[in-house]
Amino acid sequence: MIVDVVFWFLAVLAVFSAWRVFRTDSMVRAAYWLLISFVGVGFIMVMLKAEFLGVILILMMGGEMTIMAVFMVMFMMNPAGLNPMIMVHQNRAAMAAGFGSFGLLSAVGLFARFPASVVPPRAQATAELGTELLGDSMLVFQTAGVTLLAAMIGAVALVSVRGRFGRADEGSDAPEQQPAAAAAAAPGPTVSDATAAAEPAPDVAGEDMPADHAHGDAR
Amino acid sequence: MSQQAIFVVAAAIFGIGVYGALSQQSFVMIMMGLELMLNGAMLAAAMVWAMIAGGTPKGQLLVVVLMTVMAVEAALGFALVTGIYRVRKADITEKLKKLKG
Amino acid sequence: MVAEALSTAGLAIAVVAVLLGGTYIAAVLDVVFTRLTMRIAVRPLAAAALPLRRAAQLALQRRTLTERPDAGTWALAPAVLGALAAVSLAVVPLTGTVIAVKADTGIVVFAAAMALVVVAVYLQGWSPNSPLSLVAAYRFVAEGLSYEIPFAVVLIGTALPARSLALVPIVTSQEHLWNVVRQPLGLPIYLVTVLALGFWGPLSLPEGQDVAGGTSVELSGVPRLLWRVAQLNVLVAVSAMGAAVFLGGWLGPWLPGGVWMALKTLFLLALLVASRQYFARVRTESFVVVAWTILTPLALVDVFMAGIQAMVAAR
Repeated sequence: MIVDVVFWFLAVLAVFSAWRVFRTDSMVRAAYWLLISFVGVGFIMVMLKAEFLGVILILMMGGEMTIMAVFMVMFMMNPAGLNPMIMVHQNRAAMAAGFGSFGLLSAVGLFARFPASVVPPRAQATAELGTELLGDSMLVFQTAGVTLLAAMIGAVALVSVRGRFGRADEGSDAPEQQPAAAAAAAPGPTVSDATAAAEPAPDVAGEDMPADHAHGDAR
Repeated sequence: MSQQAIFVVAAAIFGIGVYGALSQQSFVMIMMGLELMLNGAMLAAAMVWAMIAGGTPKGQLLVVVLMTVMAVEAALGFALVTGIYRVRKADITEKLKKLKG
Repeated sequence: MVAEALSTAGLAIAVVAVLLGGTYIAAVLDVVFTRLTMRIAVRPLAAAALPLRRAAQLALQRRTLTERPDAGTWALAPAVLGALAAVSLAVVPLTGTVIAVKADTGIVVFAAAMALVVVAVYLQGWSPNSPLSLVAAYRFVAEGLSYEIPFAVVLIGTALPARSLALVPIVTSQEHLWNVVRQPLGLPIYLVTVLALGFWGPLSLPEGQDVAGGTSVELSGVPRLLWRVAQLNVLVAVSAMGAAVFLGGWLGPWLPGGVWMALKTLFLLALLVASRQYFARVRTESFVVVAWTILTPLALVDVFMAGIQAMVAAR
C-alpha cells in the first residue's frame, strides 16, 4: 500500500516535471525540471530493487543537468524567462507524434502478455551486476569505456580553441568563412571540400534574430 | 506498481520526449527531448529486468548501456551545438537554412 | 508499524541533531582557529557564544532583495544543500548499530548526494539575478566537475577491501587496519576534494573576495544564515563519512563506539575548518589543472593499489 502510494507519487512527479520542461519560460528551470524527472525515475528504479542503477542515474544526471543549464544560458537568448516566449515549430505534428508514440507503447504494455517473473527477494543485484560486467559481458563493458573515451576526445577535438584548422585566434575558420583580421592575406588551409572559395559572403552573422522566431501565444 | 503501470509511465515520459525533440527550435531543448526519451526507455528496461526477466544480470547491463548512450549523446551533442554555433552563429534550427530547397 | 515509524522518526531526529550540533561545533572551531592565528586571546566562553550571537544578528537583519530574482530557486538552494547533507549523514553509521538508512549501496548514495551539491550552489548563484554571484556559480561548476572523479574513485577504493558498497561492512573491514594506513593516498585526496565540495577555506572559489563574496554576495538575513548553516552541514557530513571509511568509524578500544565516532569526526572537522586559516584561496585555473592532472591519476593509483591488496587478500 505504502509502496503503491510512493510509486504513484514518483511516477506523477516524473511525468509532470517532464511536461514542465517544455512549458517553462526560464531555461535554467527547464534543465532542473528535467533533473527532477530523472530523480523520480531513479527513485522508481531503487524501488524496483535496482538500487545501484537508480543511484548512479541520479549521480550522473546531477552533473549533466548543471551542464545543460550552463549551455542553456550560453545559447538561449532568454535564459531567465523574463520575457515569455515559446519557440516551437510544427507543434501539432509533434504533439501528434508524442501522443501517438505514447499510445502505441502503452498499448504494447497494456495488451501484450509478458511473463511475470519477479526478482527474487534475496537477490544481490549490485553484486550480480558487478560479476556480469567483469565476467560474461566484459566486452560490452570495455566497449562502453572505449566509446566514452572516444566521445570525450571527439568532443574536445570538435570544440577546442586549437581547432581542426589551426588556432581560432589566428584566423582558423572552416573554409567558407573569411577570417576577420586576415581577409586578403592567407588563403587559409587547403581543404579538399568543394565549398572552399565558391561561397559568397556568409549569410549568417547579420540576421536579425527576433524576426525568425515563431512567437506562440503569450504565456 | 504493476508492469502495466510502469509501462504506461515510461511511455508517457517517452511521448513527452518525442514531442520535445520534434517541436523545439533550440538545439539544447531538442537534446532535452532526447534525454527524456532515453529516460523513458531506461525506466522500461529496469521494469522488464525487475518484473519480467526475473532479475537476470543482463537486464541491468542493458540499463548501463543506455546510460552510456545517454552520456555519449549528451557530450557529442553539446560539442556539435558549440561547433555549429561557432561556424554558423545558429542557436536554433530555423537558422540552418543552407540546404533548404 | 507504529514502533517502526517512531524509530524512523527517532533516527531522523538523531541525524538532524548531529548535523546541527556538528555545525555549531564547526562554527566555534572556526572562531577558535581565527583567534589562534590572529594571536588574540581565545576566551573560550565568548568564542562559544559568538556563533550564536552572529546567528541571532543575521536572523534579525533586514533582508535586502535584488531586482527580479528567481525567487523559487533562491529559497530552494540552501534547503537543497541542507537536505543533501542530511541524506549524506543518514547513510553514515553513527555507532555500531545506529544508522538511519541502511542502504546496500550506501557509499554510492553518499557520492550521489554530494554530486548534487553543484546543483544547489549553481542555483544559489543564478537566482539573485546578480552578475558576481553568477560568475561565482560558474566557478563552482568548474570546481565541481573537477573534484567529482577523485572523490568518487577514492571512496570506491575504501569499498574494495570490504567487497561491499554498504557502509557497515566497510567499517568492519577496518578491524585490523584502518584504511588511512593501508590506502595512504586516500585520506589526503578525500580531504582536498571535500574542501572543494564544501567550498571552504583554500577552495572556497564561489565565495571568494575577488567576486565580493560570490554566491553569497546578495544574501542577507535569514537566507544568509541558512546558507552558512547548510555549508557547515556539508562539512559535518563529509567529516563523518571520512571518519567512517578512513579512520575506522566506531572501532576502537575502551570507549563506546559512538564516542570514537564523534572523536574521529571532530578530528576531521577540525582539520577542515582550520584549513581556512592556514591556506590561501587558490585560483580556479590552478585547482582545475591540479584536480585533473594530479588528483585524478593519484586517485586511480590509490584504487589500483587497493585492488591489488584485495586480490592478494583473497588468495
